[in-house]
Amino acid sequence: MAEFAGSFAASHGPLIARDWAKLTPEIRARLQAGFDQVAERIVAARPDILLIVSPDHWVNFFITNLPAFCLGIGATHKGPPEPFLADFPHKTIQGHPAFARHLLNHAFADGFDPSLSHELVLDHGFCIPLLRMGLDPLPAIVPLVINDLEPPMPSIKRCLQWGGLIRRAIADFPGTARIAVLGTGGLSHSIGETTMGIVDEKFDHECIAQLRSGDMDGFATWAEAALLRTGNGAHEIRDWAVAHGAAGGVGFELLAYAPTPEVYVGCAFAHWS
Amino acid sequence: MADVALSRLFFDIQRPEAAAAYRADPEGVRARYGLSPKALAALAADDVAAIAPVVNAYLLRYYFQVRGLTDAEFIARLNAPPLTEVLDG
Repeated sequence: MAEFAGSFAASHGPLIARDWAKLTPEIRARLQAGFDQVAERIVAARPDILLIVSPDHWVNFFITNLPAFCLGIGATHKGPPEPFLADFPHKTIQGHPAFARHLLNHAFADGFDPSLSHELVLDHGFCIPLLRMGLDPLPAIVPLVINDLEPPMPSIKRCLQWGGLIRRAIADFPGTARIAVLGTGGLSHSIGETTMGIVDEKFDHECIAQLRSGDMDGFATWAEAALLRTGNGAHEIRDWAVAHGAAGGVGFELLAYAPTPEVYVGCAFAHWS
Repeated sequence: MADVALSRLFFDIQRPEAAAAYRADPEGVRARYGLSPKALAALAADDVAAIAPVVNAYLLRYYFQVRGLTDAEFIARLNAPPLTEVLDG
């Protein structure tokens, strides 16, 4: 049967690509070091399939049809449409329909009822970590989109449960594939709000402490309350919650924390070993 | 409550060709979306604060990037008193 190869997390944010050349060498180095550490851990984990969890930033979906969860089951996915990612090296990204279908079947059998897509476009949420990590070759990518942008959003508890679901699906997926989970986004940031540009380091440190604690119920309770008090971009910790749930809530290791107002994000990088 | 028509305009002009068309003829493009008079007035004034309550914050930012506002200008207008009637969806 397939093998779980670990959970990982990395921030994203348009300015990490769009304004990369404008950042000071020190900031670039600090951010790149975080991505490099995640990349090193992923390479060491040797995943054949990387399930990436990210929001869709109004690329595939609009408010007339907005899934809480959408699984990309296509043989391929399209690369990022954002002009600032024109140099992203993969215009087409290989999927893994067999595992995606297997996970989808598990989801429906377990009462999760996600949406599905045979052809997702993977925006900067998926592709900035891939760009900065420079994984070559890319493992097959199975995208899981979570609505982190428009209320109402899935509960943190549900996202943790998705992690458990993914783990169970890996455990009985035929073959010998190694499958890892990468949550992207977060930690604190605020986009299009009056607090845009402010990094909430208190939120970030509390989030990190909660993830370290291994108490998934405590993390969910804390997050639901804390998300009401910080910027909207922090809702992307739902993607970290999926990674946390896949790891069973244990083994969290913060690889780097780089609060970076220049890119508007409390950037963080993690591995659940 | 979201203003669906206004949100649709903001969503659509993420595409570079649609953004170029909007820059060339904003009034003409707006006329195709069935926007309310209040929304049209707010758009004409680039009134970020008046529009913010009825459009997703990410779409709001994308739209004003297309309009050519720097992030600093956008944040300042977001925090300024509205210039026109605040939209309520």
